[in-house]
Amino acid sequence: MTALSLFLILLLLLNLADANFFEASQAFLKSAFGGRRYAYLYVTISRCALITGMAIAALIAFRAGLINIGGEGQLVIGGFVAAFVSIYSGVTGVAGIILAILGAMIGGGLWAVLAGLMKLKLGVPILVGTLLLNYPARYITSYFVSHPFRDVSSGMPQTHLLDKSLWFPLIEGTRLDIGFMFILIVYAFVLVYSHRTVPGYHAKMTGHSIEFAATSGINIFNTTLKTLAFSGAIAGLVGAIAVLGIHHRFTDGMLVQPLYAWTGIVAALLINLVPWAVLPAGFFFAALTSGASGMERTADVPKEIAIIIQGIIILFVASKATNIASSSKKKEEGS
Amino acid sequence: MFAKLQDISVNFGEVRALNNVSLDISPNQIHAIVGENGAGKSTLMSVLFGLNVNYSGQIFIDKVDKIWTTPSDAIKAGIGMVHQHFMLIESMTVLENIILGSEPNKYMGFLDFQFAEKKLHDLLRAYNFSINLNQTVGGLSVGQRQMVEILKTLYRSAELIILDEPTAVLTPAERTDLFNSLQDFKKAGKSIILITHKIDEVMANADHVSVMRAGKLISSLPIDNTSRGQISEEIVGASKTKSISRKKIKSGSVKLHLSDLDVLGMPQIGNSFNLEVKANEIVGIAGVAGNGQSEFVEAIVGLRSSKSGLIEICGTDVTGADIYTRRDAGLCYIPEDRQKRGLALDAQLSENASISSLSSKAFANGPFLRKTKIKNFTEDLIEKFDVKASSSSALANSLSGGNKQKLIIARELSLESDVIIAENPTWGVDLGAINQIHYELLSMRENGHAILLVSSDLDEILTLSDRVLVMFESELSQSFRTEKVTREELGKLMLMKASEKKKRKRQISHEAI
Repeated sequence: MTALSLFLILLLLLNLADANFFEASQAFLKSAFGGRRYAYLYVTISRCALITGMAIAALIAFRAGLINIGGEGQLVIGGFVAAFVSIYSGVTGVAGIILAILGAMIGGGLWAVLAGLMKLKLGVPILVGTLLLNYPARYITSYFVSHPFRDVSSGMPQTHLLDKSLWFPLIEGTRLDIGFMFILIVYAFVLVYSHRTVPGYHAKMTGHSIEFAATSGINIFNTTLKTLAFSGAIAGLVGAIAVLGIHHRFTDGMLVQPLYAWTGIVAALLINLVPWAVLPAGFFFAALTSGASGMERTADVPKEIAIIIQGIIILFVASKATNIASSSKKKEEGS
Repeated sequence: MFAKLQDISVNFGEVRALNNVSLDISPNQIHAIVGENGAGKSTLMSVLFGLNVNYSGQIFIDKVDKIWTTPSDAIKAGIGMVHQHFMLIESMTVLENIILGSEPNKYMGFLDFQFAEKKLHDLLRAYNFSINLNQTVGGLSVGQRQMVEILKTLYRSAELIILDEPTAVLTPAERTDLFNSLQDFKKAGKSIILITHKIDEVMANADHVSVMRAGKLISSLPIDNTSRGQISEEIVGASKTKSISRKKIKSGSVKLHLSDLDVLGMPQIGNSFNLEVKANEIVGIAGVAGNGQSEFVEAIVGLRSSKSGLIEICGTDVTGADIYTRRDAGLCYIPEDRQKRGLALDAQLSENASISSLSSKAFANGPFLRKTKIKNFTEDLIEKFDVKASSSSALANSLSGGNKQKLIIARELSLESDVIIAENPTWGVDLGAINQIHYELLSMRENGHAILLVSSDLDEILTLSDRVLVMFESELSQSFRTEKVTREELGKLMLMKASEKKKRKRQISHEAI
C-alpha cells in the first residue's frame, strides 16, 4: 500500500517534470550504485562513510541526552586542522597522516567540549551552545583559508594542496580511498562502547534520566564532557577523512554545503538511536543523494524535483524504519 | 445507582489481571475496595469507568446491560472517577477546569458561564464546600485540587463516584474534610467506591468492604460482619510476614554528623541544623510533608548546596562535595521520588540495579561490563527482596509501584554503606512490602549501619526509630527517645499553628531586645 502510493507520487512528480519514470529510475540506480567500473558506487561509499561518521557522532551524544547539533562546527574544525597540520607540520607519509587525524580529532573534540563547559559552567543548553558554535567554526576557518593560509594562485578560498604522501591510498583496482575503513572501525568501536563498556553505560543512563544518574552517583560533569569529546572527535575524524581522502585540501564550505552533519543527525534520529542501524542508514542517505544528482544529470529532472523526490523517499522510509528501529530498541532493552 | 460487575476477567498478555470478579455497588453506601498493589483494584475500576474495554464479562447499571467504548460513555451514565494523579490544568481557573469537556452552550456556541456558575454554587451550598471558582488551580493546595476533581464529577451529575487512593496526598485535616463530604454524598443517595491501602480509613468510614488479591475478589462484606484482623489477613493472604521488633542494642560511633548546616532554598526561614546519627541507630524525622524535609535530605545527599555548616560522613568532611564523593565516603540514599530519582524507567532492571555499584570491580573488567555478573546480581536482588518481575532484563516501568520501591531499596541496601538515608521508604507501598522494608531497615540497624529515616508516616517513625525529631517550618525540634515520647506530643509539634510559632518567635526576639 505505502509502496504503491510512493510509486504514484513519484510518477506524478516525474510527469510534472516531463521525465520518463523508467529513464529516471534507471538513472537513479545507475548513479547510486553503478557507473563505469562502479565509479558511482565508490562515490556513494565515500559519501556513506562521511554521513555514517556524522550520524555516529550525533548518536553518541544523543544517547547520553546531550543534544549535540554542532556536528557541523566540529567537522569543519576537524577538517581544517587536518589540512593545516598536513601542510605546515612538514611531517610526511604515514606519520603525517596519523598526526593529521589525531589533530583533527582533538580539534573536533575540544570544540564540542567547549559547548559542554558552557553548559556546565554557564548553564547554556547543549542544544544552543553546540548550534551557535557552528558559526564561529565556519567563519574562522573561512577567514583562515581566505587570508593567512590561502593558496592564492588557485583563485579560490582554499588551502594549498596536501603533499601527495599524505593522500589516503586507493584500494587496489578501485577508485575508492581507505577513508571508509576508519568509519568501519569507529562503527565497531561504538557498538562495543554502547553495549559493553562502563562509560557507554553511564552515558546511556544519563540519557535515560539525568536526575536518576546523578542521584545514583554518576559523575555528570565527567560523563558530559567525555561524551561530548568523543562525539566531537568522531566529527573531527570525518573532517580529516574528507580532507585526506577526497579533497586533499580544505576549501571554504566544502564540508558545510553537502550537509553531512545535518544528514547525519537525520539518519541517527531516523533509526531511533539504535547503534547497529547507523551504517545502513548512512548508506541509504548516501545512495539517495548520489541517485538524485544522477537523475538530475542524465534524465533531465530539474534539481528541485530531484530534491523533492529525495524528501518524499526519506519520509516513506522514515515511517517504516522507525518502526523497525524501535522494535529493535525494545529488544535491546526488553528481552 | 446500582452497579453490578458480573464475571469480569482481564488479561494483560499472559498475565491474568482480573479473574472472574463479580461486585455489587449499592446507593447510599461507601464501598471500600482494598488490596495490595497489583491486586487488580485499579484494573477493575478502569473496566467500570470505560478506560479498559478489553475485558470479558458484563456491566449492569441499574439492571441494564451496558457496554462502554470510552470513559465518556461511563460519565454519561453517571459514573465519575477521581484519579490518584489529578488531571487539572494549572493555569486555568477552577470554573474553567470543571466545565472543560462538558461546557454549557448558549446560542451560537458561546459559553454559558453564568449557567455553570449557578449550577456549581448550588453544589457548593448543598455539600458545604468552600472554594473560589475564579481562582487558578495553580494556587490551590492538594486538598483543594482534589475538591475540584470531585466537583467535576458532581457537575457531570455523577451518581457513582470512584476515588482512587484519595487520602495518600492529604494532610490529616484535609482527610477529615474529605470523609465528611463523602458522608454527605452518601446521604444524598450517591454510591461511593473508595480504593485504598489504609485499613483504618476503611474501618472508620466504609459501609461495605471488598478485598482483592491477585486478581480475585476474596471477600465482599458489610463492615459490621468483618474485622480489621480479618481484612488484613485477606489482603496479605497466608503470608510469610516477618515479625517487626526493634531489639535493644547500644548505638556505636557517630557516622553522620551535621553541624550548623544552613541549607539553601528552604521553604521557610528556619534555623540551621545540628544532628548526629550513630551506628546501630535509626533516627526518625517526622513532620507533615512540605516543611523542608526534602530540602534537608537533598542537602545531605548532595543534590542541593548549603550556605554554611558542616556535613561529615564517617568522619570525612563532605560539605560541598559531589554526590559520588559522598557515596564513596559511605552514604546511600533511598529517594522519595522513585520515578525520577530512584529509577530510569525505560532502562532494564539489571541496569537499574547495578548503577550505584558499577565502579566496583565486581561488575566491570577495566572499562568493560561483566554482563553475566550484573545479571546474576540482579536476579539475586529480585529473589531476596521478592520483587515481582518477569526477568532481570524487563524494563523498570513494567514493575508496579511497590516492586519499584523494593528494587530501589534492594539496590541501595546491597551497597552496605555505613549511612543510609531513607526518605518515605514505604510511601504508596502495600502492606506486605511495607512489612518487608521495615524488616530490612531494622536488620541493617542491627548490622551496625546508621540510618536517617525521614517520613511523614508517624507510625513508621515510631515503629523503627530509636530517636525522633520533628521538622516543622524548616526547623528541627529537639530529639526525643522514642520510648519517652507519645504520639500526641509529636502530633502537636507537627501541627503547631504557624501563628503560635510566630508569637513564640516574637517573644524570643522581644526578650533579646
